[in-house]
Amino acid sequence: MDFEITHEQRMLVETVRGFIKDELAPLEQEIEETGQLPDEIARSIFEKSRALGLYGMNIPEEFGGGGLSALETMMVEEQFGHTTDILIRRAFGNVYEVLLSCEGPQVERWLLPSVRGDRVCSIAFTEPGAGSDAAGIRTRAERKGDKWVLNGMKHYISDGAFADFFVVTAVTDPAKGHRGISMFLLDKGTPGFNIGRDQPMMGLRGTSHLDLHFDDVELTDENLLGTEGEGLKLALSVLGRVRLAQVAARSIGKATKVLQMTLDYARERVQFGQPIGEFQMVQQMLADSAMEISAARSALWQCAWEIDAGLDPRARISVLKVQGSETLGRVVDRAVQIFGGMGYSKDLPIERYYRDARIYRIFDGASEIHRGVIAKSLLKGGAQLFDPWGA
Amino acid sequence: MKVLVPVKRVIDYNVKVRVKADGSGVDLANVKMSMNPFDEIAVEEAIRLKEAGKVEEIVLVSIGVKQAQETIRTGLAMGADRGILVVAAEDVQQDIEPLAVAKILAKVVEEEQPGLVIMGKQAIDNDMNATGQMLAALMGWAQATFASKLDVDGDSATVTREVDGGLQTIRVNLPAVVTADLRLNEPRYASLPNIMKAKKKPIDEKTPADYGVDVSPRLEVVKTTEPPVRKAGEIVGSVDELVTKLKDAGVI
Repeated sequence: MDFEITHEQRMLVETVRGFIKDELAPLEQEIEETGQLPDEIARSIFEKSRALGLYGMNIPEEFGGGGLSALETMMVEEQFGHTTDILIRRAFGNVYEVLLSCEGPQVERWLLPSVRGDRVCSIAFTEPGAGSDAAGIRTRAERKGDKWVLNGMKHYISDGAFADFFVVTAVTDPAKGHRGISMFLLDKGTPGFNIGRDQPMMGLRGTSHLDLHFDDVELTDENLLGTEGEGLKLALSVLGRVRLAQVAARSIGKATKVLQMTLDYARERVQFGQPIGEFQMVQQMLADSAMEISAARSALWQCAWEIDAGLDPRARISVLKVQGSETLGRVVDRAVQIFGGMGYSKDLPIERYYRDARIYRIFDGASEIHRGVIAKSLLKGGAQLFDPWGA
Repeated sequence: MKVLVPVKRVIDYNVKVRVKADGSGVDLANVKMSMNPFDEIAVEEAIRLKEAGKVEEIVLVSIGVKQAQETIRTGLAMGADRGILVVAAEDVQQDIEPLAVAKILAKVVEEEQPGLVIMGKQAIDNDMNATGQMLAALMGWAQATFASKLDVDGDSATVTREVDGGLQTIRVNLPAVVTADLRLNEPRYASLPNIMKAKKKPIDEKTPADYGVDVSPRLEVVKTTEPPVRKAGEIVGSVDELVTKLKDAGVI
């Protein structure tokens, strides 16, 4: 068992860290205040990042990406967690691995431009009646001759305002339940496809969360991603790695950043004649946060290692989704407590981290959903999750 | 033209340095090590000269423990072409003194025949600020230390130096030794493609014996201590109060 970080991995993380510190962190406060990242600044950070090869690092080299392993992807995604959702999107790209299912003309039309950053993709699964229950969607795509006709709506679609195209789930065969759902690639500007309102959120300032309306949108077979009826299966097979990266790894990175700030404060803030870090009740909070972050990161690396080894650690990804996001929740809650009034004030970014952290326990499957996945795996005999020696 | 850039592996500038309990030095075990920041500036300057078409090849050389290979790889990932690692110590605690380093560098210079040596003005670990000057003396070359601007033009270089009280501009004939000061440039990040390419760039491994240089220490460290702890400040309410306090303290 080798936990050594290679020199290449260290250099890569240093480049990403340095880029975030110098180019992205200075933008965070203004975006928080205005709710906007101006287009020209978005363009500028994208170009700087692309010049360093930091855009689309998760995509294999043969498609123009950085070709990172799952473990390396988690290492850089952890660093992404140090900054905000919108800046990650613009600087490093959310190039979803589901696009690797593109075939034939789809590769040139959607996959390659996404990796280059010429076109931005957004995932549109969620509907008012279908959040965690992804099979409960009502958006319908009906076969009419050689065309598909799409009707329905999606909501809370992250980056909807900026994206050039969307990966949309729709029911293609209502009789087949979750085996009757397919995925479509839908370009913005397609007749009948309208963008609705931007839903203001508790956090994630700068990122748009839009309603999408489909009114007799005509699509062809070229818009169908993967096999008809296998939309959910495809989603399950590729979104696990995305979940591990964008939720678990970023949570752990955010928690790490927050604990660093908290430690600095605990050393410097003096009350009753000594730094507050000298008080045992504060020490307990610091120690608990460090233990939880460290445990979550080890579990993250193990899970990434399993992906690189060709395994399909679906239940362990659920473990990490919950462990990462709930660790973040506790760490940032303690941070607000230790910072006290300063933690609640908008003069420091702690309250922003606190608000931004809350969604991590909700999106991409709420904690309760993933606990269900974990428990089902355990009851079916998946003792590997907690007992590597086998039952 | 070929440029030689010596790079040193030092304790990372962000690390809170701890003195060893026996006072023999600074604790370097399990501490983050990086390229000396002034050397990073030297590497960056060499890369800029190459990008400007004035330099064909950049050779890095590091003298120290085997792990200094990582320091060379860092420079290769920034854009240097190849490296020479001179393994001169086994113990990470052992520092190779400036004169020994300069003597090895002189031999490397004789072998490689660079038109220019660019190096950090000093290493941030022991702050000797001597190796560049010693190398120039050993070679009988011109030296331009504390450079904040470097223009290479044919067989000479114009260098702006940061000296006490201002800036001094000198012209030196090449070959020469230039030592980099803080404001010469801002080093770039290694890009992902360059990090991957650096793996394949060659690093020659040598020993001081290959160059006939004795690296045994000439200096004896008598004692190492922590800097004095800064006393807490005091906030005063008015200028009058400030003046009174300063008078009481006997400083005015």
